Amino acid sequence: MIVVRELAIAGFLGAFGAALGLEWAARRPGSRIPSLAAICGVAMRYRIGRLPVGRIVMLGFCWWLGWHFLAR
Amino acid sequence: MDQSSHITAEISGARARPLVLVPVFALISLAGALFPSFSLGAEVLVVAVGGTLFWLGLSDRTPRRSSPDRLSARARWWLVPGLTLGVVEAINFFAGSTLEHPTLSNLADPILEGYLARAAAYFGWLTAYWGLVRR
Repeated sequence: MIVVRELAIAGFLGAFGAALGLEWAARRPGSRIPSLAAICGVAMRYRIGRLPVGRIVMLGFCWWLGWHFLAR
Repeated sequence: MDQSSHITAEISGARARPLVLVPVFALISLAGALFPSFSLGAEVLVVAVGGTLFWLGLSDRTPRRSSPDRLSARARWWLVPGLTLGVVEAINFFAGSTLEHPTLSNLADPILEGYLARAAAYFGWLTAYWGLVRR
């Protein structure tokens, strides 16, 4: 059914719209909402021992995104 | 910092400037958009460029921006778009990733067939990836 497809598209658009709205709110002066970059920065600091697990996962995920959308 | 480290840091800083990076990313994007999906050229480009950025991100060769030590409780708001995207993608993926149940890549593929959209996607990917490398 095409309605199901439109629901899925609406879900994706809603998610991206919410992300854009949050990023806008985060960049307002005095905002206590962190930006997406700040969240990524904190996640990338996660380590297990000397291994920068957060950094490896985030950089690897970004690499995979490029491969998935642009090469596959 | 000894003199050689200082020089290395200055060179890295110069390379990290938008004046240098934007034209480099634009050239890679314009070249990359020439290769369609599933082509050897696209595979080689994404693996080579992605691998270089991955290596740069794990090395100390690029200056990094500061990040907060901790996140405020309001960071939880980011769960709303994150979970929405994850749930919608998972539902459609497990429903077979068909025309009726499209995943994000199903929806993106027809758009990314156009040269300009593909070049813009390459540029967006490189810019976002570079943003992570600098974190």
